[in-house]
Amino acid sequence: MAGIREVLTYLAPRLRRTLEKMGGALQELEEVRLRAGRPLQVETGLVSTLVTPEGLFTDRKERAFRVTEEDILRSLQLMGENSLYTLEEELKEGFLTLPGGHRVGLAGECLAENGRLVRVKRVTALNLRIARETIGSSRPVLPFLVAEKRPLRIMIISPPQAGKTTLLRDIVRSFSNGEGVPAPVKVGLVDERGEIAGCFRGVPQLDVGIRTDVLTGCPKRDGIFLLLRSMSPQVIATDEIGRPADLQVIEEVLNAGVGFIVTAHAWDTQDLALRPVLREIWLQGLVEKVIILSRRYGSGTLEGIWDGKTKKALPVKPVRLGVGN
Amino acid sequence: MKLAGALLIISASTAAGWLYGSMLRKRRKNLADLRRLLQWLETEIGYNLIPLREAFFRISQRLQGEVSLLATVFIRYLDDPGGLTAGEAWQKTIQNCREKLVLAGPDWMILEDLGCNLGTTDREHQLKAVREGIERIKIQETAVEEQAVKNEKLYRYLGMAAGTLAVLLFY
Repeated sequence: MAGIREVLTYLAPRLRRTLEKMGGALQELEEVRLRAGRPLQVETGLVSTLVTPEGLFTDRKERAFRVTEEDILRSLQLMGENSLYTLEEELKEGFLTLPGGHRVGLAGECLAENGRLVRVKRVTALNLRIARETIGSSRPVLPFLVAEKRPLRIMIISPPQAGKTTLLRDIVRSFSNGEGVPAPVKVGLVDERGEIAGCFRGVPQLDVGIRTDVLTGCPKRDGIFLLLRSMSPQVIATDEIGRPADLQVIEEVLNAGVGFIVTAHAWDTQDLALRPVLREIWLQGLVEKVIILSRRYGSGTLEGIWDGKTKKALPVKPVRLGVGN
Repeated sequence: MKLAGALLIISASTAAGWLYGSMLRKRRKNLADLRRLLQWLETEIGYNLIPLREAFFRISQRLQGEVSLLATVFIRYLDDPGGLTAGEAWQKTIQNCREKLVLAGPDWMILEDLGCNLGTTDREHQLKAVREGIERIKIQETAVEEQAVKNEKLYRYLGMAAGTLAVLLFY
Protein backbone atom coordinates (compact mmCIF):
# COMPACT_ATOMS: atom_id res chain seq x y z
CA MET A 1 0.00 0.00 0.00
CA ALA A 2 2.87 2.35 0.79
CA GLY A 3 3.84 2.15 -2.87
CA ILE A 4 0.72 3.61 -4.36
CA ARG A 5 0.21 6.12 -1.52
CA GLU A 6 3.69 7.39 -2.22
CA VAL A 7 2.90 7.80 -5.90
CA LEU A 8 -0.33 9.71 -5.22
CA THR A 9 1.56 12.60 -3.63
CA TYR A 10 3.13 13.27 -7.03
CA LEU A 11 -0.19 13.65 -8.80
CA ALA A 12 -2.18 16.84 -9.31
CA PRO A 13 -4.60 17.22 -6.34
CA ARG A 14 -7.66 16.64 -8.56
CA LEU A 15 -6.32 13.29 -9.77
CA ARG A 16 -5.12 12.34 -6.32
CA ARG A 17 -8.56 12.88 -4.80
CA THR A 18 -10.22 10.77 -7.51
CA LEU A 19 -7.81 7.88 -7.13
CA GLU A 20 -8.04 8.00 -3.34
CA LYS A 21 -11.77 7.30 -3.66
CA MET A 22 -10.88 3.88 -5.08
CA GLY A 23 -10.07 2.68 -1.57
CA GLY A 24 -8.91 -0.95 -1.45
CA ALA A 25 -8.76 -1.27 -5.25
CA LEU A 26 -5.76 1.07 -5.15
CA GLN A 27 -3.58 -1.81 -4.01
CA GLU A 28 -4.21 -3.62 -7.26
CA LEU A 29 -2.95 -0.83 -9.48
CA GLU A 30 0.14 -1.50 -11.54
CA GLU A 31 -0.07 1.46 -13.87
CA VAL A 32 -1.83 4.81 -13.91
CA ARG A 33 -2.01 6.34 -17.37
CA LEU A 34 -2.72 10.02 -17.93
CA ARG A 35 -3.37 11.46 -21.37
CA ALA A 36 -4.42 15.07 -21.96
CA GLY A 37 -8.09 15.34 -22.93
CA ARG A 38 -8.67 11.61 -22.53
CA PRO A 39 -10.12 9.36 -19.83
CA LEU A 40 -8.15 8.34 -16.76
CA GLN A 41 -6.95 4.80 -17.34
CA VAL A 42 -5.48 2.27 -14.93
CA GLU A 43 -4.02 -1.18 -15.29
CA THR A 44 -4.27 -3.83 -12.62
CA GLY A 45 -2.65 -7.24 -12.82
CA LEU A 46 -5.61 -8.58 -14.77
CA VAL A 47 -7.58 -5.75 -16.36
CA SER A 48 -7.16 -2.48 -18.19
CA THR A 49 -9.98 -0.12 -17.24
CA LEU A 50 -11.12 3.50 -16.91
CA VAL A 51 -11.93 5.33 -13.68
CA THR A 52 -14.94 7.58 -12.97
CA PRO A 53 -14.70 10.84 -10.96
CA GLU A 54 -16.14 8.81 -8.06
CA GLY A 55 -13.20 6.40 -8.19
CA LEU A 56 -15.13 3.47 -9.68
CA PHE A 57 -14.04 1.26 -12.57
CA THR A 58 -15.90 1.73 -15.85
CA ASP A 59 -15.56 0.69 -19.46
CA ARG A 60 -17.56 3.64 -20.77
CA LYS A 61 -15.34 6.51 -21.70
CA GLU A 62 -18.07 9.15 -21.38
CA ARG A 63 -18.45 8.25 -17.70
CA ALA A 64 -14.75 8.35 -16.98
CA PHE A 65 -12.75 11.11 -15.33
CA ARG A 66 -11.25 13.29 -18.04
CA VAL A 67 -7.59 14.18 -17.61
CA THR A 68 -6.60 17.71 -18.65
CA GLU A 69 -3.28 19.02 -19.86
CA GLU A 70 -3.20 21.13 -16.69
CA ASP A 71 -3.40 17.91 -14.60
CA ILE A 72 -0.43 16.52 -16.47
CA LEU A 73 1.67 19.67 -16.19
CA ARG A 74 0.90 19.97 -12.50
CA SER A 75 1.79 16.33 -11.88
CA LEU A 76 5.00 16.70 -13.85
CA GLN A 77 5.96 19.73 -11.77
CA LEU A 78 5.32 17.84 -8.56
CA MET A 79 7.37 14.92 -9.86
CA GLY A 80 10.20 17.28 -10.72
CA GLU A 81 10.03 18.87 -7.26
CA ASN A 82 8.75 22.02 -8.93
CA SER A 83 12.07 22.38 -10.71
CA LEU A 84 11.76 21.15 -14.27
CA TYR A 85 15.27 22.42 -15.02
CA THR A 86 16.58 19.47 -13.01
CA LEU A 87 14.78 17.06 -15.36
CA GLU A 88 16.48 17.97 -18.65
CA GLU A 89 18.23 14.61 -18.88
CA GLU A 90 14.98 12.79 -18.06
CA LEU A 91 13.02 14.74 -20.67
CA LYS A 92 15.60 13.60 -23.17
CA GLU A 93 15.38 9.96 -22.09
CA GLY A 94 11.61 10.05 -21.89
CA PHE A 95 11.28 8.75 -18.34
CA LEU A 96 12.01 9.63 -14.76
CA THR A 97 12.27 7.73 -11.49
CA LEU A 98 10.49 8.81 -8.32
CA PRO A 99 11.62 8.13 -4.76
CA GLY A 100 10.43 4.62 -4.03
CA GLY A 101 11.61 3.44 -7.44
CA HIS A 102 8.37 4.18 -9.30
CA ARG A 103 8.87 4.87 -12.96
CA VAL A 104 7.16 7.56 -14.99
CA GLY A 105 7.18 7.40 -18.78
CA LEU A 106 6.62 10.59 -20.76
CA ALA A 107 5.12 11.22 -24.18
CA GLY A 108 4.04 14.27 -26.12
CA GLU A 109 5.47 16.75 -28.56
CA CYS A 110 9.19 16.38 -29.08
CA LEU A 111 11.95 18.72 -30.06
CA ALA A 112 14.41 17.28 -32.57
CA GLU A 113 17.59 18.66 -34.06
CA ASN A 114 19.46 17.16 -37.00
CA GLY A 115 17.22 14.13 -36.91
CA ARG A 116 17.94 13.42 -33.25
CA LEU A 117 15.63 13.76 -30.28
CA VAL A 118 16.57 16.72 -28.06
CA ARG A 119 13.79 16.36 -25.50
CA VAL A 120 10.06 15.93 -24.99
CA LYS A 121 9.07 19.56 -25.29
CA ARG A 122 5.44 19.42 -24.33
CA VAL A 123 4.45 16.50 -22.15
CA THR A 124 0.86 15.41 -22.80
CA ALA A 125 0.93 11.85 -21.50
CA LEU A 126 2.33 10.22 -18.39
CA ASN A 127 2.51 6.56 -17.50
CA LEU A 128 3.17 5.75 -13.87
CA ARG A 129 4.44 2.26 -13.20
CA ILE A 130 4.16 1.43 -9.57
CA ALA A 131 7.22 -0.41 -8.34
CA ARG A 132 6.33 -3.49 -6.40
CA GLU A 133 8.65 -5.23 -4.09
CA THR A 134 7.52 -8.76 -3.49
CA ILE A 135 10.19 -9.77 -1.05
CA GLY A 136 10.62 -13.52 -1.10
CA SER A 137 8.78 -14.07 -4.40
CA SER A 138 11.81 -15.82 -5.88
CA ARG A 139 11.89 -18.48 -3.14
CA PRO A 140 10.21 -21.26 -5.20
CA VAL A 141 12.65 -20.86 -8.09
CA LEU A 142 15.90 -20.40 -6.14
CA PRO A 143 16.69 -24.15 -5.72
CA PHE A 144 16.85 -24.44 -9.53
CA LEU A 145 19.27 -21.56 -9.94
CA VAL A 146 22.33 -22.79 -8.10
CA ALA A 147 24.51 -25.82 -8.81
CA GLU A 148 27.53 -26.94 -6.78
CA LYS A 149 27.32 -23.66 -4.87
CA ARG A 150 27.80 -21.80 -8.15
CA PRO A 151 25.12 -19.41 -9.38
CA LEU A 152 24.01 -20.47 -12.84
CA ARG A 153 23.51 -18.42 -15.98
CA ILE A 154 19.86 -17.54 -15.91
CA MET A 155 17.41 -15.88 -18.26
CA ILE A 156 13.91 -14.78 -17.26
CA ILE A 157 11.50 -14.48 -20.19
CA SER A 158 7.89 -13.33 -20.37
CA PRO A 159 5.52 -11.09 -22.29
CA PRO A 160 5.48 -7.44 -21.11
CA GLN A 161 4.22 -6.74 -17.59
CA ALA A 162 4.37 -10.24 -16.29
CA GLY A 163 6.78 -9.43 -13.48
CA LYS A 164 10.23 -10.07 -15.02
CA THR A 165 11.88 -7.13 -13.33
CA THR A 166 10.23 -7.85 -9.99
CA LEU A 167 11.47 -11.44 -10.03
CA LEU A 168 14.94 -10.40 -11.19
CA ARG A 169 15.15 -7.94 -8.29
CA ASP A 170 14.17 -10.58 -5.76
CA ILE A 171 16.62 -13.15 -7.14
CA VAL A 172 19.37 -10.51 -6.95
CA ARG A 173 18.35 -9.70 -3.37
CA SER A 174 18.31 -13.38 -2.34
CA PHE A 175 21.69 -14.16 -3.96
CA SER A 176 23.21 -11.05 -2.45
CA ASN A 177 21.85 -11.66 1.05
CA GLY A 178 22.44 -15.40 0.89
CA GLU A 179 18.77 -16.22 1.45
CA GLY A 180 17.53 -19.52 0.01
CA VAL A 181 20.93 -20.22 -1.59
CA PRO A 182 23.93 -22.12 -0.13
CA ALA A 183 26.15 -19.04 0.17
CA PRO A 184 25.80 -15.30 -0.48
CA VAL A 185 27.39 -13.91 -3.64
CA LYS A 186 28.53 -10.49 -4.77
CA VAL A 187 26.21 -9.17 -7.45
CA GLY A 188 26.99 -6.50 -10.02
CA LEU A 189 23.76 -4.93 -11.20
CA VAL A 190 23.66 -2.86 -14.38
CA ASP A 191 20.37 -1.02 -14.15
CA GLU A 192 20.29 0.77 -17.48
CA ARG A 193 16.79 2.17 -17.13
CA GLY A 194 16.78 2.49 -13.36
CA GLU A 195 13.91 0.06 -13.01
CA ILE A 196 15.50 -2.77 -11.04
CA ALA A 197 16.94 -0.91 -8.08
CA GLY A 198 14.72 2.16 -8.60
CA CYS A 199 17.58 4.52 -7.90
CA PHE A 200 16.73 8.07 -6.91
CA ARG A 201 19.83 10.25 -7.13
CA GLY A 202 21.99 7.14 -7.32
CA VAL A 203 20.67 5.45 -4.16
CA PRO A 204 18.65 2.22 -4.59
CA GLN A 205 15.12 2.70 -3.31
CA LEU A 206 14.23 -0.96 -3.61
CA ASP A 207 15.93 -3.79 -1.76
CA VAL A 208 18.56 -5.34 -4.03
CA GLY A 209 20.56 -6.95 -1.23
CA ILE A 210 23.60 -6.04 0.82
CA ARG A 211 26.28 -7.37 -1.53
CA THR A 212 24.97 -5.69 -4.67
CA ASP A 213 26.83 -2.92 -6.50
CA VAL A 214 24.53 -0.89 -8.73
CA LEU A 215 25.37 1.07 -11.85
CA THR A 216 22.37 3.07 -12.86
CA GLY A 217 21.66 4.93 -16.09
CA CYS A 218 24.72 3.25 -17.62
CA PRO A 219 24.70 1.55 -21.04
CA LYS A 220 24.69 -2.23 -20.56
CA ARG A 221 27.92 -3.01 -22.35
CA ASP A 222 30.02 -0.31 -20.67
CA GLY A 223 28.43 -1.04 -17.31
CA ILE A 224 29.11 -4.76 -17.41
CA PHE A 225 32.74 -4.29 -18.44
CA LEU A 226 33.21 -1.68 -15.75
CA LEU A 227 31.83 -3.98 -13.06
CA LEU A 228 33.85 -6.98 -14.27
CA ARG A 229 37.03 -4.88 -14.16
CA SER A 230 36.48 -3.05 -10.94
CA MET A 231 34.04 -4.77 -8.57
CA SER A 232 34.85 -8.52 -8.95
CA PRO A 233 31.21 -9.63 -9.05
CA GLN A 234 30.28 -13.33 -8.92
CA VAL A 235 27.02 -12.66 -10.74
CA ILE A 236 26.10 -9.95 -13.23
CA ALA A 237 22.44 -8.94 -13.42
CA THR A 238 20.78 -6.80 -16.05
CA ASP A 239 17.41 -6.15 -17.67
CA GLU A 240 16.05 -6.54 -21.19
CA ILE A 241 18.67 -8.03 -23.44
CA GLY A 242 18.08 -8.73 -27.13
CA ARG A 243 20.14 -6.27 -29.13
CA PRO A 244 22.95 -7.59 -31.38
CA ALA A 245 25.65 -6.09 -29.13
CA ASP A 246 24.27 -8.01 -26.14
CA LEU A 247 25.47 -11.36 -27.50
CA GLN A 248 29.09 -10.26 -27.30
CA VAL A 249 28.55 -8.92 -23.79
CA ILE A 250 27.09 -12.26 -22.67
CA GLU A 251 30.11 -14.06 -24.12
CA GLU A 252 32.44 -11.72 -22.24
CA VAL A 253 30.66 -12.46 -18.98
CA LEU A 254 30.94 -16.16 -19.74
CA ASN A 255 34.69 -15.80 -20.38
CA ALA A 256 35.11 -14.01 -17.09
CA GLY A 257 33.71 -17.11 -15.38
CA VAL A 258 30.91 -15.14 -13.82
CA GLY A 259 27.25 -16.14 -13.56
CA PHE A 260 24.52 -13.91 -14.88
CA ILE A 261 20.81 -13.21 -14.59
CA VAL A 262 19.16 -11.41 -17.48
CA THR A 263 15.62 -10.79 -18.64
CA ALA A 264 14.19 -10.74 -22.17
CA HIS A 265 10.89 -10.34 -23.97
CA ALA A 266 9.64 -13.69 -25.25
CA TRP A 267 6.53 -15.77 -24.65
CA ASP A 268 8.11 -19.20 -24.38
CA THR A 269 11.10 -21.22 -25.55
CA GLN A 270 9.64 -21.59 -29.06
CA ASP A 271 9.31 -17.83 -29.32
CA LEU A 272 12.84 -17.54 -27.91
CA ALA A 273 14.18 -19.66 -30.76
CA LEU A 274 12.68 -17.20 -33.27
CA ARG A 275 14.22 -13.99 -31.94
CA PRO A 276 17.50 -13.01 -33.62
CA VAL A 277 19.89 -12.53 -30.70
CA LEU A 278 18.05 -14.52 -28.07
CA ARG A 279 18.06 -17.52 -30.41
CA GLU A 280 21.87 -17.60 -30.39
CA ILE A 281 21.99 -17.37 -26.63
CA TRP A 282 19.42 -20.15 -26.27
CA LEU A 283 20.62 -22.52 -28.98
CA GLN A 284 24.31 -22.19 -28.09
CA GLY A 285 23.42 -23.12 -24.53
CA LEU A 286 24.86 -19.91 -23.09
CA VAL A 287 22.08 -19.88 -20.53
CA GLU A 288 21.72 -22.77 -18.12
CA LYS A 289 18.19 -22.10 -16.90
CA VAL A 290 15.30 -20.22 -18.46
CA ILE A 291 12.46 -19.07 -16.22
CA ILE A 292 9.17 -18.38 -18.01
CA LEU A 293 6.58 -16.04 -16.53
CA SER A 294 3.07 -15.19 -17.67
CA ARG A 295 -0.01 -13.34 -16.46
CA ARG A 296 -2.16 -16.45 -16.26
CA TYR A 297 -3.03 -16.03 -12.56
CA GLY A 298 -2.01 -12.37 -12.52
CA SER A 299 1.36 -10.72 -12.97
CA GLY A 300 4.23 -12.93 -11.85
CA THR A 301 2.84 -16.38 -12.68
CA LEU A 302 5.61 -18.96 -12.99
CA GLU A 303 4.88 -20.96 -16.13
CA GLY A 304 7.91 -23.16 -16.08
CA ILE A 305 11.68 -23.51 -15.85
CA TRP A 306 13.66 -24.95 -18.74
CA ASP A 307 17.10 -26.43 -18.81
CA GLY A 308 19.40 -24.70 -21.28
CA LYS A 309 21.47 -27.80 -22.08
CA THR A 310 18.82 -30.49 -22.44
CA LYS A 311 16.23 -27.97 -23.74
CA LYS A 312 13.64 -29.69 -21.58
CA ALA A 313 11.18 -28.35 -19.06
CA LEU A 314 11.78 -29.07 -15.38
CA PRO A 315 8.90 -30.42 -13.32
CA VAL A 316 7.36 -27.26 -11.85
CA LYS A 317 3.70 -26.40 -11.53
CA PRO A 318 2.35 -23.03 -12.65
CA VAL A 319 2.01 -20.83 -9.56
CA ARG A 320 1.73 -17.11 -8.91
CA LEU A 321 5.00 -16.03 -7.31
CA GLY A 322 4.95 -13.73 -4.31
CA VAL A 323 1.45 -14.82 -3.33
CA GLY A 324 1.33 -17.21 -0.42
CA ASN A 325 4.94 -18.32 -0.56
CA MET B 1 2.31 73.96 28.99
CA LYS B 2 2.62 75.54 25.59
CA LEU B 3 6.33 74.95 25.67
CA ALA B 4 5.87 71.27 26.42
CA GLY B 5 3.39 70.94 23.55
CA ALA B 6 5.77 72.73 21.21
CA LEU B 7 8.62 70.42 22.17
CA LEU B 8 6.38 67.43 21.66
CA ILE B 9 5.43 68.51 18.14
CA ILE B 10 9.02 69.23 17.19
CA SER B 11 10.32 65.92 18.54
CA ALA B 12 7.47 63.95 16.92
CA SER B 13 8.06 65.43 13.50
CA THR B 14 11.81 64.99 13.88
CA ALA B 15 11.19 61.35 14.71
CA ALA B 16 8.96 61.02 11.65
CA GLY B 17 11.75 62.41 9.49
CA TRP B 18 14.24 60.01 11.06
CA LEU B 19 11.88 57.16 10.56
CA TYR B 20 11.49 57.91 6.88
CA GLY B 21 15.25 58.10 6.54
CA SER B 22 15.71 54.80 8.32
CA MET B 23 13.08 53.15 6.09
CA LEU B 24 15.11 54.23 3.13
CA ARG B 25 18.24 52.71 4.67
CA LYS B 26 16.38 49.49 5.38
CA ARG B 27 15.07 49.19 1.83
CA ARG B 28 18.60 49.71 0.62
CA LYS B 29 19.83 46.84 2.75
CA ASN B 30 16.93 44.62 1.74
CA LEU B 31 17.55 45.25 -1.94
CA ALA B 32 21.18 44.27 -1.50
CA ASP B 33 20.11 41.08 0.32
CA LEU B 34 17.55 40.33 -2.37
CA ARG B 35 20.24 40.67 -5.01
CA ARG B 36 22.41 38.27 -3.01
CA LEU B 37 19.49 35.83 -2.77
CA LEU B 38 19.03 35.84 -6.54
CA GLN B 39 22.76 35.54 -7.17
CA TRP B 40 22.88 32.44 -4.98
CA LEU B 41 19.80 31.09 -6.72
CA GLU B 42 21.59 31.60 -10.03
CA THR B 43 24.50 29.45 -8.80
CA GLU B 44 22.23 26.75 -7.37
CA ILE B 45 20.27 26.46 -10.62
CA GLY B 46 23.10 27.06 -13.06
CA TYR B 47 25.96 25.06 -11.56
CA ASN B 48 24.60 22.82 -8.83
CA LEU B 49 21.37 22.03 -10.69
CA ILE B 50 19.48 21.39 -7.46
CA PRO B 51 15.69 21.67 -7.03
CA LEU B 52 14.13 24.91 -5.82
CA ARG B 53 13.24 23.67 -2.35
CA GLU B 54 16.76 22.60 -1.56
CA ALA B 55 18.18 25.71 -3.21
CA PHE B 56 16.02 28.00 -1.08
CA PHE B 57 16.83 26.00 2.03
CA ARG B 58 20.53 26.51 1.44
CA ILE B 59 19.94 30.20 0.77
CA SER B 60 17.87 30.61 3.94
CA GLN B 61 20.77 29.16 5.92
CA ARG B 62 23.21 31.68 4.51
CA LEU B 63 21.15 34.82 4.14
CA GLN B 64 21.11 37.20 7.11
CA GLY B 65 18.41 39.79 7.73
CA GLU B 66 14.71 39.94 7.13
CA VAL B 67 14.84 39.03 3.41
CA SER B 68 15.57 35.42 4.41
CA LEU B 69 11.90 35.35 5.42
CA LEU B 70 11.07 35.06 1.70
CA ALA B 71 13.06 31.83 1.49
CA THR B 72 11.60 30.25 4.62
CA VAL B 73 8.00 31.16 3.73
CA PHE B 74 8.50 29.89 0.17
CA ILE B 75 9.75 26.53 1.46
CA ARG B 76 6.72 26.30 3.73
CA TYR B 77 4.35 26.77 0.79
CA LEU B 78 6.29 24.30 -1.37
CA ASP B 79 5.83 21.72 1.39
CA ASP B 80 2.08 22.33 1.41
CA PRO B 81 0.36 18.94 1.10
CA GLY B 82 -2.15 20.52 -1.32
CA GLY B 83 0.52 20.33 -4.01
CA LEU B 84 1.15 23.95 -5.04
CA THR B 85 3.28 24.69 -8.07
CA ALA B 86 6.39 26.80 -7.56
CA GLY B 87 4.62 29.78 -9.19
CA GLU B 88 1.67 29.53 -6.82
CA ALA B 89 3.89 29.07 -3.79
CA TRP B 90 5.88 32.14 -4.83
CA GLN B 91 2.72 34.27 -5.24
CA LYS B 92 1.55 33.25 -1.78
CA THR B 93 4.98 34.03 -0.38
CA ILE B 94 4.78 37.54 -1.80
CA GLN B 95 1.30 38.06 -0.35
CA ASN B 96 2.46 36.78 3.00
CA CYS B 97 5.61 38.90 3.18
CA ARG B 98 4.40 42.14 1.60
CA GLU B 99 3.53 43.72 4.97
CA LYS B 100 6.55 42.34 6.75
CA LEU B 101 9.43 43.48 4.57
CA VAL B 102 10.54 47.02 3.82
CA LEU B 103 10.48 47.03 0.03
CA ALA B 104 8.76 49.35 -2.43
CA GLY B 105 6.22 48.65 -5.18
CA PRO B 106 8.74 48.27 -8.02
CA ASP B 107 10.74 45.79 -5.92
CA TRP B 108 7.69 43.57 -5.42
CA MET B 109 6.96 43.84 -9.14
CA ILE B 110 10.39 42.35 -9.89
CA LEU B 111 9.67 39.45 -7.54
CA GLU B 112 6.23 38.89 -9.05
CA ASP B 113 7.67 38.74 -12.56
CA LEU B 114 10.29 36.27 -11.41
CA GLY B 115 7.57 33.97 -10.07
CA CYS B 116 5.79 33.66 -13.42
CA ASN B 117 8.00 30.91 -14.80
CA LEU B 118 9.71 29.72 -11.66
CA GLY B 119 10.51 26.04 -11.97
CA THR B 120 8.57 25.51 -15.18
CA THR B 121 11.22 25.96 -17.85
CA ASP B 122 14.66 24.57 -18.65
CA ARG B 123 17.85 25.74 -17.02
CA GLU B 124 18.68 28.29 -19.67
CA HIS B 125 15.36 30.11 -19.32
CA GLN B 126 15.40 29.94 -15.54
CA LEU B 127 18.83 31.54 -15.49
CA LYS B 128 17.70 34.21 -17.93
CA ALA B 129 14.79 35.11 -15.67
CA VAL B 130 16.93 35.17 -12.52
CA ARG B 131 19.62 37.29 -14.19
CA GLU B 132 17.01 39.71 -15.44
CA GLY B 133 15.72 39.98 -11.86
CA ILE B 134 19.23 40.72 -10.61
CA GLU B 135 19.71 43.47 -13.20
CA ARG B 136 16.39 45.06 -12.33
CA ILE B 137 17.22 45.00 -8.63
CA LYS B 138 20.54 46.65 -9.36
CA ILE B 139 18.68 49.47 -11.08
CA GLN B 140 16.49 49.91 -7.99
CA GLU B 141 19.56 49.85 -5.78
CA THR B 142 21.18 52.64 -7.78
CA ALA B 143 18.02 54.70 -7.66
CA VAL B 144 17.70 54.24 -3.89
CA GLU B 145 21.37 55.08 -3.47
CA GLU B 146 20.96 58.37 -5.31
CA GLN B 147 17.81 59.17 -3.42
CA ALA B 148 19.53 58.43 -0.15
CA VAL B 149 22.53 60.64 -0.82
CA LYS B 150 20.26 63.49 -1.76
CA ASN B 151 17.48 63.11 0.72
CA GLU B 152 18.38 61.10 3.79
CA LYS B 153 19.71 64.09 5.73
CA LEU B 154 17.08 66.28 4.17
CA TYR B 155 14.25 64.15 5.55
CA ARG B 156 15.69 64.22 9.03
CA TYR B 157 16.09 68.02 9.02
CA LEU B 158 12.87 68.52 7.12
CA GLY B 159 11.03 66.62 9.83
CA MET B 160 12.47 68.87 12.51
CA ALA B 161 11.91 71.99 10.41
CA ALA B 162 8.29 71.08 9.67
CA GLY B 163 7.73 70.54 13.38
CA THR B 164 9.32 73.87 14.22
CA LEU B 165 7.23 75.61 11.59
CA ALA B 166 4.04 74.11 12.95
CA VAL B 167 4.99 75.28 16.44
CA LEU B 168 5.77 78.78 15.22
CA LEU B 169 2.47 78.99 13.38
CA PHE B 170 0.31 77.87 16.28
CA TYR B 171 2.26 79.29 19.17
